[in-house]
Amino acid sequence: MVGIKDLGVGIGWRSEIDLTVERLPGVDFVEVVAENLHIGHLPESVTLLLERGVPVLPHAVSLSLGGADPVDLHRVEHLGAVAEAVGAPMVSDHVCFVRAGGLDSGHLMPVPRTKDALDVLVANVKLAQANLPVPLALENVAALLEWPDGELSEGQFLAELVERTDCWLLVDVANLYANARNIGTDPERFLDEIPLERLAYVHVAGGEQHGDIYHDTHAHAVLPEVLEVLDELCSRVAPPGVLLERDDNYPSDTEIATELAAIRAVVDKHRG
Amino acid sequence: MNENELLVARERLAARQTELLNALLSNGPVPAGFDEQRLNVERRALLSKRRGIVRMLGPAVADELGDRFRPLFDAYAVEHPRRAGSRAREDAASFAEWCRASGELSAERKARWKFWQSN
Repeated sequence: MVGIKDLGVGIGWRSEIDLTVERLPGVDFVEVVAENLHIGHLPESVTLLLERGVPVLPHAVSLSLGGADPVDLHRVEHLGAVAEAVGAPMVSDHVCFVRAGGLDSGHLMPVPRTKDALDVLVANVKLAQANLPVPLALENVAALLEWPDGELSEGQFLAELVERTDCWLLVDVANLYANARNIGTDPERFLDEIPLERLAYVHVAGGEQHGDIYHDTHAHAVLPEVLEVLDELCSRVAPPGVLLERDDNYPSDTEIATELAAIRAVVDKHRG
Repeated sequence: MNENELLVARERLAARQTELLNALLSNGPVPAGFDEQRLNVERRALLSKRRGIVRMLGPAVADELGDRFRPLFDAYAVEHPRRAGSRAREDAASFAEWCRASGELSAERKARWKFWQSN
């Protein structure tokens, strides 16, 4: 299987910044949150971007692939339908669980890095893949807490996942930075351990330090330290795409354009 | 691995994930081996995210409650952890209903009137 073609630099499309995304120069591709779209009623702005030939990639947040329950095929079906509606070459979700024991955490929770959790994740991912029209990429999440009995590092866990499912990886360098700050992940070791040839694209986002905890808020500016992790990644591989995620407290068009330019500068530096 | 092994792995994982979500969402006991301080950080982060979504979906309710919104929501949230499969809008509606039932919010008729006015 070949990876997706060169995507360039993109931004997460959100209804609150639809006009911004449309008029900003240098938006090569966008992501849409699959759960927010209804088949047959795509937002006008997304249709406009598609007409311009801008690739639109569906990103899901609710499959709970790392959850103990078998993956909900209705959710997988919706994600696949969104992919077909926007002609996407790939879809994505996270290495996480959202629901357990009848409760919904409302967030992307880390899974224990144990054999049990990996076996269940692999089974769920395979079932999702069998029911999707395009390849699936999986993203590393930001964790505020660590499960007590991890048997593998995060990089090893993801490498095993790729090995057993042939999925793609969506590496979020802000989440990697968050885990380095909060749970002691070593970003260089992480990048050494994951199969970079299976890199689909990269996420970058802003956050905020509160005391000794870094919060991956997607509502603040991108820290220079996060761009340093991107720089480290780009020194090892040319990422097919890099996408900025902003979900709240939206800044001016100029500020967003500046962040996109800073991302592009890091990517271009390594392309020489 | 065979189907039976997978089923057993799912059961063991379900028990651990359920225990963690109970601790985080409904003040259940701290599962063995977790850092209690970090668990509290995560608990506050999840609560804050949920509160922000309910505020965004029901600004009229949040406005009417003013300073009482946060403590009331936090009390409601622990009593009513979100059920799997429920929607955020249902959470916002259920919170408003809970406030009305406890007399913290005026009757629904007035809330609708405010909604019309703001449009």
